[in-house]
Amino acid sequence: MTNTANFHPSIELLNDFTQGKLATGMSVALSAHLELCEACQEKSSELESEAAKSWAKVADDQVTPDFSDMISTIVGQAQNSEQESAGKQERPPVNEIHMLHHSVTLPRVLAKAASQGLVWKRLAGGIKQASVILDNKTQCEFIYMTPGSKVPVHRHQGSEVTLVLDGSFSDELGHYKASDFMVRTKDNLHKPASEEGCLCFAVLDNPLTFTKGFAKLMNPFIGYKFRKALAARA
Amino acid sequence: MYALTPSVDNFTIGSIAVKNRTNTPVNQIKPLAKNDPNSDESLLIAVGNTQDTNAFNQLFVRFSKKIFAMGMKLTRNEQVAHDLVQEAMLTVWQKAPLYDLDRGTAQSWIFTLTRNRCFDMLRKQKRQPNTISADDIWPTEGDGDAVFVNEERGSLEVEIAQIERFYSDLPEAQQAVVRQIFVLDRTHEEAAKALQIPLGTLKSRLRLGVGKLRQLIGPTP
Ligand SMILES: [Zn+2]
Repeated sequence: MTNTANFHPSIELLNDFTQGKLATGMSVALSAHLELCEACQEKSSELESEAAKSWAKVADDQVTPDFSDMISTIVGQAQNSEQESAGKQERPPVNEIHMLHHSVTLPRVLAKAASQGLVWKRLAGGIKQASVILDNKTQCEFIYMTPGSKVPVHRHQGSEVTLVLDGSFSDELGHYKASDFMVRTKDNLHKPASEEGCLCFAVLDNPLTFTKGFAKLMNPFIGYKFRKALAARA
Repeated sequence: MYALTPSVDNFTIGSIAVKNRTNTPVNQIKPLAKNDPNSDESLLIAVGNTQDTNAFNQLFVRFSKKIFAMGMKLTRNEQVAHDLVQEAMLTVWQKAPLYDLDRGTAQSWIFTLTRNRCFDMLRKQKRQPNTISADDIWPTEGDGDAVFVNEERGSLEVEIAQIERFYSDLPEAQQAVVRQIFVLDRTHEEAAKALQIPLGTLKSRLRLGVGKLRQLIGPTP
């Protein structure tokens, strides 16, 4: 069973991603999509090697400080052994989210992002939301739309990236399912609804104004703690 | 349907010992890079293999200004860019033993490593939460395998027949890649040549295929 995404990030966004130009939250959303989408992963490795090539090609004619005194300090350090570096790879403590009657395995980078635990807030219209703080530029959150839920019409102040992780939802522009990656910019009228239920990861690039606009829709049950999943290993 | 049985030594599930392709011994390095002892790749391998400080010096001369330029571009801060040269070249020195030609060209290896160090330095400078690091966002091929290898607790016995069934659930393109690597025991480069696909494509298919197998096999009960 393969999920082929129908909606993908633009080449420009992938390019900024491979060059490390994006904020952490946005980079995490892209990384998670790449884990789910072979086409974008291939595109991104191509862009990365192109970026590396043009980086290496640029002439070193600019006057820069002299770095050569760093060398002796560096070569005095021990090198990594293979075991050491392999030993660092640990499975994140949370790798799935339990929702109603089933659980969703998260892409690795999102499992890591959620590893501090998720606190779910109940919003109006059958929506649950759990924020993850990844940087100081974006607002990142998991959004769970219960089956049959509808978000009241709203207009975005900034832009919003949504990655569908499980289930599906629709708005006036399309129907989205797992692995799909959408960007909604300012002024898009937005009216998402989900029949079967849907888990998404969303990144908002202008959290303050968004929160202001969204606050009216919110019906905060603060501290509503959703059951969070622990890795099933004992 | 290919039997996966012959390579079961490389592919035991549970404390799943998926063979780590990135640990190719240096003496098996393709003749390609050996052609030119002054290629970036040869120098990097020499640094990793014999802690060759001369080779490191040459790499330092070739790359330090480029690293500084990338730092200036991404941070617009001379001090941070300066520190990045130190950090990135230190990482080159420390990680050189992990480099081999399956990881791509030396310039692309140093490029990604510099980008990652810069990303982490900026996060630290801006006091952002350290839940996520650059290595989570841009995982290197082989990281997934390392997770398997280190999975010691709760080993799971899965019948070979079951693995074969999971394997046959993979999309054909991924099956072909998994077969090249785990059944025919080929290197990434050999497999890419045999399947006539770019190395990057092979690696991403392998990562997805192995990831999916791991998902199908499921967590330990
Ligand atoms: Zn895609």
